[in-house]
Amino acid sequence: MKIAVAGKGGVGKTTISGTLARHLARTGMPVIALDCDTNPMLGVSLGVGPEETDRLGTVRQGLDTGEVEHQPTTQGIVETFGTDAPDGVRLVVVSRIDNIDPG
Amino acid sequence: MRIAVVGKGGAGKSVVAGTMARLLARGGDKVLALDSDPIPGLAISLGLGPLDTPMLLDAVEKDDNGRWRLKKGIGAARAVQRYSLVGPDGVRLLQFGKTTASGLKDFMGSVNGFYQVVHRLARDDSLSGWTIVGDLPAGPRQTAFDWVPYADKLVLVVEPTWQSILTARRIARISRQRSGVEVVAFGNKLREDGDTDLIEERLGERLGGSLPFDPLVAEADAHGKALIDHAPDSPAVHAIEHLIDAISRRKVSA
Ligand SMILES: Nc1ncnc2c1ncn2[C@@H]1O[C@H](COP(=O)(O)OP(=O)(O)O)[C@@H](O)[C@H]1O
Ligand SMILES: [Mg+2]
Repeated sequence: MKIAVAGKGGVGKTTISGTLARHLARTGMPVIALDCDTNPMLGVSLGVGPEETDRLGTVRQGLDTGEVEHQPTTQGIVETFGTDAPDGVRLVVVSRIDNIDPG
Repeated sequence: MRIAVVGKGGAGKSVVAGTMARLLARGGDKVLALDSDPIPGLAISLGLGPLDTPMLLDAVEKDDNGRWRLKKGIGAARAVQRYSLVGPDGVRLLQFGKTTASGLKDFMGSVNGFYQVVHRLARDDSLSGWTIVGDLPAGPRQTAFDWVPYADKLVLVVEPTWQSILTARRIARISRQRSGVEVVAFGNKLREDGDTDLIEERLGERLGGSLPFDPLVAEADAHGKALIDHAPDSPAVHAIEHLIDAISRRKVSA
């Protein structure tokens, strides 16, 4: 099962996604929570902690350093760049804008 | 004064931007309101109602390499004069249109024209007498990608929630990588006594003002009306008057 959550800012996408992921994980399913927002906050609603969420590594950083190339499978990417969240959810953050665009 | 309003989705950017624009216009300023959010917001909070119109489509053409450019003779002043829409209190609105089922694909000319006008605005002396209020999309993206070269003040709208505070922190950090921009944090939807302290402590900035949670604000939105028209005497409008006062040291009133 693959679910994408969409809507206007502030309507509750992140809260619903995070809670849904935790619920599904509690029923025994293996769950990957994928944060595709360039302002990623899914860690907050999953219960990873706000400051920790702000420091999570991203797949984008892995691309920049070449580490992603060494992970040809999705499984490898999830293992290398993911973080453990409560209830066994594996959180993967795609990218985070931290700096001005130099070009 | 040239302001851009930023923050997390739902923080209240459009309400703050629209109300500031109206108040400044009532105070005698020539005000240009810039909406660079592909999601509806500013037109409603200015009192123009829902308005999806992509503007500047006639102002652009494609060059030989297929790239959008402003037509010859169209500088920032002409673009504003010809293509903006005049709203209540004489506020002028420029926007690039709103996302449809096919995204923004059908009006990339408008999006590109807008980006170029915004860059020319920053340098055009004939517009130096204008006050600008920009309403940005959620998050740090446009701040990072140079969509607000005109801004000398960034109003960071922040709710007392971690997500909102982390977003504001990221935007503040990114904007300070450019010189000459003053960041003013503005608390919104405060509900409890300790909320100001909580935001200031977690954000690491003092608040330049704040607005309580006010059902009248949500009510205005539910009616599709500008806050300043729906509830001119509300605590929210007064809080935004104070914000203007704080960043410009000038009194305005609804
Ligand atoms: N102080 C407030 N009290 C109550 N509701 C508010 C307040 N500020 C904003 N809102 C409501 O919150 C919603 C989001 O506001 P909006 O200005 O559209 O946010 P943004 O532009 O940042 O996404 C709107 O429905 C608005 O009416
Ligand atoms: Mg908005």
